[in-house]
Amino acid sequence: MNLKITALILIFSMFLAACNSEGNGEPQTSKVPDQKWEDIEQEAEGSTVNLFMWGGDNGINRYIDDWVAPKLKENHDITLKRHPMDTNEFIQKLQTEKKAGKDKGTIDIIWINGENFKNAKENQLLLGSFASKLPNYEKYINQDKNFTKSDMGTDIDGMEAPWGNVQFVMWYDSEKVKNPPKNMDELKKFVKEHPGKFTYPNPKDFSGNAFLRHVLYEKTDQDPKLNEKDDPSWLEGEDEAFWKDLKEISPHLWRKGKTYPESLSQLDQLYSKGEVWFTLGFNEARGEGLIKDGVFPPSTESFVLDVGSIGNTHYLSIPFNSPNPEGAMVAINFMESPEAQLAKMDPSMWGEGMVLESDRLPKDIQKELQALNRGDTVLSTKELEEAYLPELNSTYIDWIKEHWLNEVVQK
Amino acid sequence: MIKNIFLKTLLVLSIILTIGPILLVAIQSFSFRWVWPDLLPQRFGLRAWKAVFEDPSLLQALGNSMMITAAVVMLTMVISMPAARALAFEQFKGKTVIETILMLPLLIPLLFIVMGLHLTMIRFNLADTLAGVILVHLLPCVPYAIRILRTGYERVGTKWYEQAIVLGASRQKQFWTITVPMLMPSIRSAIVLTVVITLSQYALTAIIGGGIITTLPIIYYPYFNSADQPIIAAFTLLFAVLPILFWFVIELICRSVTTMIRQP
Repeated sequence: MNLKITALILIFSMFLAACNSEGNGEPQTSKVPDQKWEDIEQEAEGSTVNLFMWGGDNGINRYIDDWVAPKLKENHDITLKRHPMDTNEFIQKLQTEKKAGKDKGTIDIIWINGENFKNAKENQLLLGSFASKLPNYEKYINQDKNFTKSDMGTDIDGMEAPWGNVQFVMWYDSEKVKNPPKNMDELKKFVKEHPGKFTYPNPKDFSGNAFLRHVLYEKTDQDPKLNEKDDPSWLEGEDEAFWKDLKEISPHLWRKGKTYPESLSQLDQLYSKGEVWFTLGFNEARGEGLIKDGVFPPSTESFVLDVGSIGNTHYLSIPFNSPNPEGAMVAINFMESPEAQLAKMDPSMWGEGMVLESDRLPKDIQKELQALNRGDTVLSTKELEEAYLPELNSTYIDWIKEHWLNEVVQK
Repeated sequence: MIKNIFLKTLLVLSIILTIGPILLVAIQSFSFRWVWPDLLPQRFGLRAWKAVFEDPSLLQALGNSMMITAAVVMLTMVISMPAARALAFEQFKGKTVIETILMLPLLIPLLFIVMGLHLTMIRFNLADTLAGVILVHLLPCVPYAIRILRTGYERVGTKWYEQAIVLGASRQKQFWTITVPMLMPSIRSAIVLTVVITLSQYALTAIIGGGIITTLPIIYYPYFNSADQPIIAAFTLLFAVLPILFWFVIELICRSVTTMIRQP
């Protein structure tokens, strides 16, 4: 008797579940709003926008909560809610929602780039081409720049809008290091003289991988093939110098190279405690806030490697099932406005570089930009521009990840 | 005498081992640059605590965490008490099968289950809701509660109940005069365990709650991905206060229930 009831309930619930999915046979994905911008703005008024982004940096969180959200409320009557979530997790969430045919999701804006963007685009998790609809994108962003066309080798097609440009720099404690090593020969010498004071994160970590991409640039003499070819298989046979140097420094690194920090935050912690003398990463102004908060020593300085400094762009996008695409577009447009981008550069909040073309900005903003002191640890715009290197295709990231384990760790 | 000294050192040692780390975390949360080999931080400051309390979703997260915990504790007990009793006293067909199914969430990685569950939750419109999060939290809680309560029932045995039946006590009366007082230690530890488990769920809440249902771990865990130790320390302390708070409430309820029963 009891068993029959259980079976009945089971069958019933399965039936229900099946019914539900059949009902969603034609998922009504939201479309990019195609009204005039004024109408979009009007529609967005009074709505709520949910922004999903990584939430582990107090400066970035403060910029969103204390600057962007109140301004957006004031100017457009939009309530911006920040939800801290790791990028992989919300991509996974969108994927499941896609599978379940959930056409009204909970996410309006996501913060992505590189591999995650590729992943999201290939799985059709994004709303569509919206960037060119944004007045600020059209007005202030140079559409000839590569970062508006390609995100680490993936065509953007307007499906994400640039939010910030950052460059890769190294930080060191100037109290302990007088002349930081700027190329592999100097680094080899340095680590032999000061064993255990240098390391880089495991290339599974994005920043650790970026360090190795710089070494790859150096060891192939900036081979143009790096930028022209999407497929790293040509490196076979030409990568000896690259691995040889990495193997050579390995036993002189932190903990004799037997283990590497798992993430950039681990390397930052080691640096913060003085165990190692260097840290690295994207966002040339990252050190400022960390020094001010007492995480990094006050004697921290930054430099770029001789080979150059890879520039990386990160973007904002709208998922396919955003319940409020109009609000999302107005919010993204606002975050690309000159005043929002300028505030983002303020070292007391986030400090990172803008995506706007400086000579297109209004005069008063230009003046403020020139007067802005990004902090003593941030290199000059000129120096950074001269060192600029384009980002590699994301296939090189995987290539480094795969081979590093065999070449460096196991030998 | 020797035994006395031994016990005393043991006591001191355990105090150092329990209070010590908490003290370190507390100092860390007020510290401004605390670098080896300094015994104490160079400077103290309220920066980390300010950052924690300035988080605009903190209050909502605290509220959600408490609501979820209260609901999960109640539901877990309602489900586990009869289930544990049946498993302890009754013999029926398929008992081992049911036992295995009930223990399954402890054996299979929960993340694995939840990925699939998310799909079902979306179909039942439970994803991104408080109800959905509460339901999914039952998954890791119920098996433990059943385990604990079942041993409790087995320890008490059927003799008391037989006695009560002979004396003509109703089911309800049996429950309040035998089950509750005799099982109180097991009930208490089951509740405490449930509180701790549900409060610390991150992945389940993130997936089923979709980031919309903000609980304390949802805003706290991302900071582990930074080098900002004082903020992590401040959140950790705040995080430790909640179970203690719940423990007080539970003790209060358990005691008042016990005294209520004693007075006929």
